[in-house]
This record gives sequence, structure tokens and C-alpha cells, in this order.
Amino acid sequence: MDDLYREHILDHYAHPRNRGRLEAPDIIADADDPSCGDQVHIEIALDPEGRIAQVAFEGEGCIVSMASASIFTEHIKGKSLEELASLTEEEVLAMLDAPVGSNRRRCALTPLTALRAGLRTYPKNPSSDG
Amino acid sequence: MKLDIERVRADFPILLRQIHDKPLIFLDSAASSQKPLPVLQAMEAAYRQCYANVHRGVYTLSEEATCSYEAARDKVASFINARAREEVIFTRNTTEAINLVAYTWGRANIGPGDRILLTEMEHHSNIVPWQVLAQERGAELVYLPVTDDGRLQMDRLDDLLDERVKLVAVTMMSNVLGTITPVREIVRRAHAIGAVVLVDGAQGVPHLPVDVQDIGCDFLAFSGHKMCGPSGIGVLYGREALLEGMPPFLGGGDMIRRVELHRSTWNDLPWKFEAGTPAIVEGIGLGAAVDYLEGLGMEAVAAHERETVAYALERLAALPGMRILGPPAEARGGVVAFTFRDIHPHDLAHLLDLEGIAVRAGHHCAQPLHKRLGLVATTRASFYLYNTPQEADRLAEALEKAARILGKAG
Ligand SMILES: Cc1ncc(COP(=O)(O)O)c(C=O)c1O
Repeated sequence: MDDLYREHILDHYAHPRNRGRLEAPDIIADADDPSCGDQVHIEIALDPEGRIAQVAFEGEGCIVSMASASIFTEHIKGKSLEELASLTEEEVLAMLDAPVGSNRRRCALTPLTALRAGLRTYPKNPSSDG
Repeated sequence: MKLDIERVRADFPILLRQIHDKPLIFLDSAASSQKPLPVLQAMEAAYRQCYANVHRGVYTLSEEATCSYEAARDKVASFINARAREEVIFTRNTTEAINLVAYTWGRANIGPGDRILLTEMEHHSNIVPWQVLAQERGAELVYLPVTDDGRLQMDRLDDLLDERVKLVAVTMMSNVLGTITPVREIVRRAHAIGAVVLVDGAQGVPHLPVDVQDIGCDFLAFSGHKMCGPSGIGVLYGREALLEGMPPFLGGGDMIRRVELHRSTWNDLPWKFEAGTPAIVEGIGLGAAVDYLEGLGMEAVAAHERETVAYALERLAALPGMRILGPPAEARGGVVAFTFRDIHPHDLAHLLDLEGIAVRAGHHCAQPLHKRLGLVATTRASFYLYNTPQEADRLAEALEKAARILGKAG
């Protein structure tokens, strides 16, 4: 069997990490894909040095997009805004640690799509347009 | 006459394919159908033996190509029982056929305050061209609602059909619910108030016997690629008197009689609406597809699909957590859209693909209908003349397997 639906993917889907909302987010990032209904909402709070202190997400969608969002929030903690802005698609796919074919790339990249949209509107750092 | 299913399947070479080491089970014909050998052979022969541009050359090849291309028009005309070949206009697909009507008939006949009546189960291609027209002309769109079990609310039709309605555009078969709509009745009531009726036959024509004179519609749009023919060719049927009165669609070669520097006059029907070099070989391929379907008999095709879908519905409905959209078997064609145990359609389609089963996941170009049903996306299995009840069994088994795999996800 194709092992996109590996145990850790299913586990992140069933038990999402960092699910919820933050009290005072600095960055709010949304993505939604009307073609399949995938929706991801990510909230990020920065520490005084401008690193990711807290992150939370909510969303709805397929296993791949939801597991990816959960894994993504784990990976970005502690990163600087510059590091976030320079995240590539391949890096996000690598975080998943499961084979994502071209037919599911869009699902897997939903959190990155959200993050990029959020960074574009982040007022304190307009140059971080990823 | 009953379909000889084994012979039909042998006509479709792609059915021999293995996908992920499993025999292909193709359940996405509502999106586009597979092609039988006679169509492939007719197209190859056209390219190999009698290819040239049509309507232009005096040389033998051009004459042969023109003959084959125009013969396809005759075949299509007879297939839908049009009164005359002039009523059959070749387009790229259903979408272009509907846009042709919106841009020509629509601009000439729809004005401020006029209404266009659609239904909640239309495909985007029978919604968006009318939105564009309505915005441009200050007209209004109104929608005939659907019932919870996916039929048109026919008891609402007469209320909605008032003197402001100039056009009714309705599908013959829903590409999501499978519902076969009472188009004949809709035409009768719409004509009673003087409205023009366009029927979207993208799903109807490939699957049902269609007689435009019996239906009585003014326009019928359909696509070659969903009826065993190639992509790139579609049909707009229009009543001759209406077509005569319409301004042309695209300007260019072939659609003119005489061109001067500042004005031109138009060619006769049907060429008035066919600007530029047409999809020559695709047209010939569509002619072969029509021959193929007529050879089997559309009654037999429809009966085979009804039987297969009735079995599939029964089989799928028995799965715990299955919600099938649309009406019971007797009111529907080959389309079965469903949701299954909260599993997202993308995940389901992915896991079915691993079993060799091709289904569609998404909104199937019918977002308003999904919204009406309180859904964003569904999984759709659509059956055609080459599908079998055994394939429905395999689908049900694969769904159970998907549920087991994802069961780990709680
Ligand atoms: C009911 C209906 N109308 C219109 C269309 C559009 O057909 P095409 O994409 O060939 O123009 C489709 C097919 O997707 C359909 O199912």
C-alpha cells in the first residue's frame, strides 16, 4: 500500500497538536480551498525577540491537510520570522515524512499557504512577504 | 435488446489497464468517458488517410475531410432527432455552447428587469454564463429549488414562471445527484408563458435516448467527450428560426459570406456560428461515437446503466455511515455521489485509487447545490455502459477497506 496514510499521519489527524486559539496572537493566517473545503486557521504569538513563542491552529479538511497543519505547528515553534518567511514547499513536505504525490501536494501545503497569506498582512513586518 | 457487456468492454482498450497493480475500475465517466476502438480508429484513419482543412480546398483530400466532418453533423442531427442539419452547431463543449447562446441570443433578447430561471442543481457552466449576462444586461437570476432528496421542486415552477422570465436553462440530468429532470414538462410550462428553454444535455445525451422534437426545447447543449467521443468537440442544437435570428458569436473565417473592409455578411447556418478552422478530426470522432452508441441502442445503454446503478445503490446503502445523495434508482441516471463516515472525499478518492478505482472528489462544479445540501464536497462514482455490478461490489469492498485503514484515525 501507498503509505501516505502512515501511522504518525493518522495520529496527528486524530490527535492534532496545538489545536485551538491563542489569547493574543500577533499573526493570524488563513487558507481555504473552496474546491474541497479544506480550511486552516493558524494563530502565532511572538516573543520579544520576534521568535514563535506560541502557535495554535483550527481547521477542517482532509487527513493530509489536517495532519500537515498539526505537524507544521510543531515544527515552527521557536523559529524566527525570517526563518518562517523563507520556508519552502519542499521543507514543509519533508516535515510530513510521508510520500506526497502531486495529486495531494495542495492538501499538504495548506498550512504553508495560510502562513504566507498571514505574513503578507502582518503589519510589523511587511518585508517578510514569502 | 440487452447490452452484451463483455463485448462492450472489449471495445474499450483502456479497460485493460492496471492501476497500482489492480484492474482499472473507471467510475468517472460523468467527468469524461473512455473511448471505444471505432472512435480511435476513425480518428486515426482521418489523420492518416484523409486529413486536410475543410470547406476550402477543391482538391480530393479537402473534399474527403469536408465530407466526413459534415457527415458527423448529419449523424448528430439524426441522433437527437433534429429537424435539420442546420440546427446542429459544433462547439468545443457544453460550456462553449451555453456561452454561445448567452452571448448572442442573450445579449439580443435579455434586458433590464428580465429574469432567467435556473435550478439549484445546475453545473457551473449553466450558471456562470447567465450571471455574466445578467450583470451586463441588468437582468435577474432566479432558481427553482431542489428537494432534500434531490429532485426539482416542480410545484414551485409555475410561481416562478411569470412574464418577466425570458429564458429557462435547466439540466437534463444532474451531474451530482443523478436526478433525471422532467425537461419535457418544464419546456411545456415555460413555453406557455413565452420563455425560451435551453437544456443542458451534458449528462443527459450520453446516457438517455434524446429527441429534441419530443422534448420541445429551443436549445440543447452537450459535449462529445462525455459520450465516447473525443474532447474538443461539443454541440449546440438550436431551433432554426432562433438561430437565424441570432447575431454571430465569434468572427473570422468560415462564418462569413462576404468580407469588405468595414463590414461583412454572415454565412448560412450552421457555419455562421463556426468561426475559424473547426475541430475537424474531433468532429469525425464524434460522428463515430454517435454511430457506436446508436449501434448499441440508447435504450439498451440506459437500461444497462439503470440496472447497474440500482445494484450499486443497494450495495453502497448497506455500508454503515453511507449517505447517498439524490433520489432512488428509478429517478436517476448513472451518477452516485455520497459521503462516507466523515471521511474527507480527497482521502477516500486517494484510497480508492490505490485499489484501481477512479472516482471524483470535490464539488463537481456544483457549489451552489452542495451548499444547498449542507456539504462542501462529496465523492462521486459515475457509471457508464462499460461498468458492471461486479465493479460496484469492488467499490463497496474498497470503501470498507478505506474505513478500516482510516479507522486507526479514530
Ligand atoms: C451537467 C453538466 N453541464 C455542463 C458540463 C460542462 O461540460 P464541458 O466541461 O464539457 O463543457 C458538465 C460536465 O462537467 C456537466 O456535467
